[in-house]
Amino acid sequence: MKSSKKWLIVFIITLLGMFSVVLFFNFAVDPFGVFNSGIFSWPSYEITKNPRSAKISYIDENHEKYDSYILGCSSTSSYRVETLNKYFNASFYNMIMYGADMKDVRDEAKYLIDNFEVKNLIVNVYVDNTILFDTLPDRLSYEMPSKLSGKSAFSYYWKYLFMDPRFSYDKIKARYGDEYLPKAFDVFDEESGCYDKRGRDVEHISDLESYYVAYPEFKSYPVSDCTVNSEAINGTLDCIKEIKEMCDKNGINFIVVNAPVYYDYFNDFVLSDLEEFYTALSEITPFYDFSLSTISYDARYFYDTTHFRNCVGDMAIAYIFNDDSVYRPNDFGRYITKENVAQRFEEIADFEPVPKESYSEKIPVLMYHNTVRDGEASGGVNINESLFRSHIKALSENGYNAVTLEMLSDYVNKGTQLPDNPIVITFDDGYLSNYEIAYPILKEYGMAFTIFVVGSGVGHTENYKDTDYPITPRFDFDMANEMIESGLAAIQSHTFDMHQYAPFESEKARENILKFEEESENDYAAFLKDDCNKIREMIELNTNQRVFAMSYPNGICDTLSESIIAECGFTVTFGEPKGMNTVVQGIPQSILEMNRFSVNDEISSQDLLEMISR
Amino acid sequence: MEQLMKILEQTCPGVDFNSETALIDDEILESLDLVTIVSEIIDVFDVEITVDDLIPENFNSAKDIMALIESRRG
Amino acid sequence: MSFNSVSFLIFVCVSVILYYLVPKRIQWFTLFISGMFYYIYSCKLRILYLFFTGISVYAFALILDKLNDRKSILKKEKNAKLLEKNKRQRKLAVFFCCIANLGLLYFLKYWNFTVDIFTDSSVLKFENIIMPLGVSFFIFQSIGYTVDVYRGKYKAQRNIFKFLLFVSFFPQMVQGPISRYNDLAPELYAERKIDFDNIRFGIQRIMWGYFKKIVIADRAGVAVDAIMKDVWSYSGSVKAFSILMYCIQLYCDFSGGIDITVGVAQLFGIRLTENFKRPIFAHSLTEFWRRWHITLGAWMRDYVFYPLSLSKPFAKLGRFTRKYIKGKAGKIIPTSAATFIIYFLIGIWHGANFRYIAFGFWNGALITASLLLESVFIKVKAFLHIDSKKKWYRAFMILRTCFIVFIGRYITRAPRLKTAVLMIKDTFLDFNFADLRNNIFTSFGLMPIDYLVILLGVILILVIEFKQERGIEIRSTLAKQNSFVQWLAIFIPLVILFLFGVLRSEYISASFLYQVY
Repeated sequence: MKSSKKWLIVFIITLLGMFSVVLFFNFAVDPFGVFNSGIFSWPSYEITKNPRSAKISYIDENHEKYDSYILGCSSTSSYRVETLNKYFNASFYNMIMYGADMKDVRDEAKYLIDNFEVKNLIVNVYVDNTILFDTLPDRLSYEMPSKLSGKSAFSYYWKYLFMDPRFSYDKIKARYGDEYLPKAFDVFDEESGCYDKRGRDVEHISDLESYYVAYPEFKSYPVSDCTVNSEAINGTLDCIKEIKEMCDKNGINFIVVNAPVYYDYFNDFVLSDLEEFYTALSEITPFYDFSLSTISYDARYFYDTTHFRNCVGDMAIAYIFNDDSVYRPNDFGRYITKENVAQRFEEIADFEPVPKESYSEKIPVLMYHNTVRDGEASGGVNINESLFRSHIKALSENGYNAVTLEMLSDYVNKGTQLPDNPIVITFDDGYLSNYEIAYPILKEYGMAFTIFVVGSGVGHTENYKDTDYPITPRFDFDMANEMIESGLAAIQSHTFDMHQYAPFESEKARENILKFEEESENDYAAFLKDDCNKIREMIELNTNQRVFAMSYPNGICDTLSESIIAECGFTVTFGEPKGMNTVVQGIPQSILEMNRFSVNDEISSQDLLEMISR
Repeated sequence: MEQLMKILEQTCPGVDFNSETALIDDEILESLDLVTIVSEIIDVFDVEITVDDLIPENFNSAKDIMALIESRRG
Repeated sequence: MSFNSVSFLIFVCVSVILYYLVPKRIQWFTLFISGMFYYIYSCKLRILYLFFTGISVYAFALILDKLNDRKSILKKEKNAKLLEKNKRQRKLAVFFCCIANLGLLYFLKYWNFTVDIFTDSSVLKFENIIMPLGVSFFIFQSIGYTVDVYRGKYKAQRNIFKFLLFVSFFPQMVQGPISRYNDLAPELYAERKIDFDNIRFGIQRIMWGYFKKIVIADRAGVAVDAIMKDVWSYSGSVKAFSILMYCIQLYCDFSGGIDITVGVAQLFGIRLTENFKRPIFAHSLTEFWRRWHITLGAWMRDYVFYPLSLSKPFAKLGRFTRKYIKGKAGKIIPTSAATFIIYFLIGIWHGANFRYIAFGFWNGALITASLLLESVFIKVKAFLHIDSKKKWYRAFMILRTCFIVFIGRYITRAPRLKTAVLMIKDTFLDFNFADLRNNIFTSFGLMPIDYLVILLGVILILVIEFKQERGIEIRSTLAKQNSFVQWLAIFIPLVILFLFGVLRSEYISASFLYQVY
């Protein structure tokens, strides 16, 4: 009896002990960013687990860094804060929450306005706000902090204290698997609040057919039940009205944008339902409507069927600020007021997108290396002078216009026009022969061209770097400047020293820009960035030219290397030589990892013309 | 008694009814055996045995059973 | 509020604390309140069914009590005529009481099934019948009480609340057992001081029950469901495997639930009748059923089997068969006819479905056959010089029983009777051992660690039950160990329950729903 009493006490203590261990563990690790205890803080992981709780925790700590906010469901992430900051001259935080409806947005807006300084507040509305309102499951990943939702704080914290400790364990485990690029567990960039799209936004995009192959969901887009319900519409409108009133009262610049929608989804709605919604919305506040345009009809402007790309977000912001230096189709964007909403619906009712050919272009890129005098040993990529001359002559006679990479970039980003039959001529490595043999011929025919030089080799005529090994001679910057002054040539990057020749290197050779297997991603990123900076500085210092293009050594790259290269400011890149390009206006990814035609000494001028015919 | 022993041994061969004194408590006799025995007793001795009599004390040994029969006869 | 929920545990704690805090006089009343709370919390308005049974049986029992009193007076007076009338009245009363309550049970459980058999139309069906919790348990328990009062075994309970407590004692509501009034009532109404031995043993028993239920049974159930969902794509060996897992699931779930029930009752100092007695060690099918769900079997025996086989029609049948059929067969026909009826009832008690009827017949037929062939077996054994007391022969009998039960489980688990027959056929004719490859097991929703947990758990249960079978009291043995070992005996089970029981549900490891954006 006495021993049993002791037993019971020990039992209860053990049980409570176990509970407190779990409790403390969950509190300390805090995978959902609920407690903000600061013991093991990893905002991008926490925001991924639950953007609602973790972003509020993050803003609580960092609100002085921001003065403007953009709110809405996951497509809101495509309005980049860098772009917003530039135009608004403000410091934005992107509050996107997945699955957010206007109730969530209202709760967040109220919290932000009540507690922090807010200059601008943008609300992103999406068509499905007419269907969904207050329907989210009661799950750890969706729970709004109690101080925002007004629900019981006890049950909110209780839920995260007593949750399965494996959620916490997962966070610790993930920490060890964290790498340079976002993984499934840390898809957010905590500083901007946006999805971290560094990896996503460097994918090569060309023609629509191959895009459909990569993303079959656009082809087999399911018909969804888009019966709007008045409860959702009214709830949505009430919340927007509330936000507007709060903003008006506090002198906050309030803007509503209606996000671009993929046409197949848009068409699942009944037009009159949408008209009703748009009309009611316009009575509350004028808004920018991007929902239907030529963009909607081209899958390449979308990550998936519900999320438009960052580049489209940039277009939208440019539209708001009437910035014509950013490409966008003429039918993209309308400022809707209660006066013109009916007119807008007439436009939507018989909307016809602009044909794809008018905003995209098939462009061949030629890749040359070394040229030799007639009679010297040619072969492979070393082609002799007369063959090269015949190539250029044939291009000229057949009406090809060589364009610079600058022109290409402006076509895509600024919407400028290209001449007919555009072609891009490039040389890799930076051989002396480019200057001595190719340049005079190109000058004769007035053909623009780009040379990608390996920085460590510039001006070396005898030896490979500082070794005694012989090297095919390279031109120097005096020669480069002479070519540039002709107005035809551009010098761009082929890396500073990541195109090494293994037999001549004493250490493990960097033959291309890929990461060594044994290297950590962070060390690698630092190395690659350093190389990029070196070559940029070198070219810009010596030629007074902007460096923005790169051809990858051996044409090899991967998502990691590409995203680092993009971070370093390279906006036009060339990958493996495998054919034609489709360059699309408004999609910067269409001039990334571009294809080239490798031209060798077996290709006659006739072959060349056939090869590049569209 | 002889008649009873005959019934018992026919129903449950291999059980020593002379010495066992806990036929029910030790689960030597199952409910099935019990019912068979009781219905035979009712027939052979022409006595009335009811459900209420089916309690262990009445069936734990051959002697107990005999006593039950005697009581019902009288 | 199922056993598995946190709210149940909290509810039990609160009830126990309340029970020992209040004045002893009203301790039973807190049990009553707890029961009502539990029932309303789980079943809302369906508590009215419970009240119907409780109040009707309470009233009839009082009437029967009166009639019994009168009977003894009349007996003294030797008034044969009035005695006869009294007997008729008593029979009528018990008959009405049983009919009313069994009728309710029939309506709730079997009405739609009956309509299905006889017509195609659904006009007569009640689509939304939701069974109140523990309906067959409290109805059976109440009928037992009525019959006992009728037989004069004890007096009727006069306090309606006390009687309702007997009907609705909450730990029994989920899985039984079916208690007898004379066993349970004194336990319920007793006044108690807190007894820490009871608390301790109760908690241990509860943990043991949860171990069986949430660590083993729920795990095994995942594989069973996965295989059954797609049963035709597997060969006989996998089907047999699923039934084996089902046997494990069923035993652990049911006996684990009873352990929890008994343990919870013990926290209040109340001893409940045991419902399981290590059925795995049964030597025969009848013994198996005496060890499995004991209280249901005993109830059927006392309130159906005995009355039935000693009834006039059966006596007549007996006389008839003994006269015309020579030898043993003639004697046992009435008994086995009653046996068939019992197993039929036990079968449909499990659920309104032909599978359960077939299951009843499977057991009835085997038991009849064993009775018929008993003398043959004895001769064969004698011929082969087999001593049935030898260890190996007993082991053989145990295995044989397990096998018979195993086959029976096909019938209860398969989705349809026909499926069950075909599954059994496949098990014997298309076993295909090679199909039990390693990777097939992980396709049933369980990881290798889960199988290991089940295997070790089953071994642990077998070892403990074997010791118990040998008469060793595990908990008392444990109590004699030094304090560190005793602490481990608290800590390790809690950790196991936590890791392999609690941490299983609700958790979605890959809860990164929006990895693509």
